[in-house]
Amino acid sequence: MSAGPQELVLTPGPHLHAEVSTARIMWTVNAALAPAALWGAWVFGANALAVILGAVAGAAAAEWLAARWMGRPQTLRDGSAVCTGLLLAMTLPPLVPWWSAALGSVFAILVVKALFGGLGYNLFNPALAGRAFMMATFPLAMSTGWATPRAGFAAALDGLTTPTPLAVLKEQGLEAAFRTLTAPGSPWASLALGFRPGSIGEVSVVLLALGAAVLVARGIIRLTIPLAVLAGTVLSTAFTGAPLLHLLSGGLWLGAFFMATDYVTAPTTRNGQLVFGLVIGLLTGMIRVFGGYPEGICYAILIANTLTPALNLWFRPKRLALVGTPS
Amino acid sequence: MSTVSLPTFGRGGIHPDPHKQATSGKPIESLPPPHEVWLPLHQHLGEPATPIVKKGDLVARGQKLADGGPTGVPLHATISGKVKPIDKRPHPTDVLAPAIVIARAADAPPELEFPEDPAWLELSRDEMIARVREAGIVGLGGAAFPTWRKLMLPPQVKVDTLIVNGAECEPYLTADFRTMIAHPREIVDGALLMARIVGAERVVIGIEADKLEAKWWLDQAIGTAAIGGIPIGVQPVQVRYPQGAERQLVHALTGRILPARGLPTAVGVLVQNVATAMAVSDAVRFRRPLLDRVMTVTGPGVAEPRNVRVPLGTPLGEVVAFCGGASPEVTRIIAGGPMMGRALPRLDLPVIKGMNGLVLLTGRGPLEDGYGACIHCGRCIEACPLGLEPDQVSVHVEAGRTLDTEPYGSLDCFECGSCSYVCPAGRPLVQFMQVAKSALRRQAALRSAS
Repeated sequence: MSAGPQELVLTPGPHLHAEVSTARIMWTVNAALAPAALWGAWVFGANALAVILGAVAGAAAAEWLAARWMGRPQTLRDGSAVCTGLLLAMTLPPLVPWWSAALGSVFAILVVKALFGGLGYNLFNPALAGRAFMMATFPLAMSTGWATPRAGFAAALDGLTTPTPLAVLKEQGLEAAFRTLTAPGSPWASLALGFRPGSIGEVSVVLLALGAAVLVARGIIRLTIPLAVLAGTVLSTAFTGAPLLHLLSGGLWLGAFFMATDYVTAPTTRNGQLVFGLVIGLLTGMIRVFGGYPEGICYAILIANTLTPALNLWFRPKRLALVGTPS
Repeated sequence: MSTVSLPTFGRGGIHPDPHKQATSGKPIESLPPPHEVWLPLHQHLGEPATPIVKKGDLVARGQKLADGGPTGVPLHATISGKVKPIDKRPHPTDVLAPAIVIARAADAPPELEFPEDPAWLELSRDEMIARVREAGIVGLGGAAFPTWRKLMLPPQVKVDTLIVNGAECEPYLTADFRTMIAHPREIVDGALLMARIVGAERVVIGIEADKLEAKWWLDQAIGTAAIGGIPIGVQPVQVRYPQGAERQLVHALTGRILPARGLPTAVGVLVQNVATAMAVSDAVRFRRPLLDRVMTVTGPGVAEPRNVRVPLGTPLGEVVAFCGGASPEVTRIIAGGPMMGRALPRLDLPVIKGMNGLVLLTGRGPLEDGYGACIHCGRCIEACPLGLEPDQVSVHVEAGRTLDTEPYGSLDCFECGSCSYVCPAGRPLVQFMQVAKSALRRQAALRSAS
């Protein structure tokens, strides 16, 4: 009997734990995002890759420095900061300067996350808040930095940019929007596969769906929020005659499956999540159709984030006990 | 076999790896009488027992050593031997507590005999309760509440259903399962006796669906039961933790939902563990006191996992030695199951009445690397069988707002540990609940005092 008193661990129960951890969740999300991000780097060229690397590096550096300055434990290894950087990059036009992406990440991590208390305490989705920051600080690059898919390095250097389908839809209408879909064959195939101008990580609906399927299968996300977002978008754009184009373009899938589902900034109960998702979807469609921007998912999620504390209060889990006199 | 259509409780719950295969096929083995037993005077809820023997007395196994008093239960010698000085000894839950120590002695009298009382089927309700009380029986599922008190229902309480709890939902443990296979007759008799005592109209033995072998044996015993007139049956329920918690088992078997913080009697149900039922049968039929208990000694840290019948008071070290000894890799020794059991600091502690298992774990466990911030993933809310909000309770406690946690259910938590089990940040959610609960109770006590 060698287990002496000094060797025994006296932690309180339960003494078993499920095979789950914050780090495992975050790195799985990163892995699920990777195919769509790499697709963006492939179709839009080297600058897109530089933007991804810049954003991830900026987020990681900011996370490390914030923990040092604020005397908090280092949380870089939990993968959440890398996730923020990666997500931010995936929402950016492929031709923005890589260092602007790094700056956006620093804002996301330092201001939106660390100053609010770090992981778990931020009110807004850091990546989307970082994108909103860049819309204000790099307006030109953020609204014109679009590239033609597989246009090659030379085209990018020439500054040959291409508007996104949603932008064309807003300015010139449905038919013109379809002309931006460049792949041979059906325009719907272009949208689904990701042969269209757009943000780095948003264009391949197929790869995003594949990543989301992994997250669903692993029990990391459930479909309540994403399906509500998609449904809300279709509902609010149905009268335009192009709900399917709306459904398959812009950052809808990236936002619905990977950003609206962010645990920290979304409600915790199923009914709260349903309302949260519908609000995002409706706002997305309304911004796209009536608002000043061609794309609305980013602001829709940020606005819905402000509702999360209230939704958590309004939609509580159902107690499985009649509240009566304690005996 | 699909068990999804079987009854279960209403929400939440988890499916931890059952880890039962190491002992589920092993019949109960009896530990040879130890050299010494340490019998704490307080191993039940209620007041401690009062010794009626003194240092130097020679006692026989089965002889009463201490009186129970108005709220407790008496204590009996579990080996024949000589009483050593009554002094404070290490206790599995207290640090040190008074205990009667008996050392084996050559001149000690032999074990008392407990012949069958031929009139055992004709006893009155009060006589039966008196025997249960005199036998020192407490709830053997782990709660250790004196069984005689549970059977003495207040006049306004009506019970129509007696549930015998054979769910054994804690991972690793198989003591109840093997007891049902080895002693189905005693369990059925004990259950029917208790049904008579409380006036229940029916008895349901609830087992998790991975214990169907026990159902076969119990069904045989039911077919030949000595007590008629009360319908009794075995009902399998889904394998799902915490299916064996009273509230959850009552819901699964009767569809009735207990009021918050209420007892099963509030909905006309009384729940007793299978080992308790067996002890009641022994007490009523033979006047045999509770001397031994069956426990599962298992886990990756023990050489030969076993189900063992152990005299109460046996030092745990001897029990582990009987099971081939502990491996050098043992890091945690859990009294009871790993979900709700308690980590022990050492093995020179006695087996007490409520101890249904000893699980020796290896490797690193929860909380050893600290825990992280709540990421509000909602897994704890999904897992809670009561629909409470452990996430909210924990962040409120961390923010110093412990007294604001009642709306999130901190007072209702029965500490099954499902929330902590699923928390990706490894947060001690049960302990946050405990902190909140005790602060709220203290506040209520201060309010009523002023």
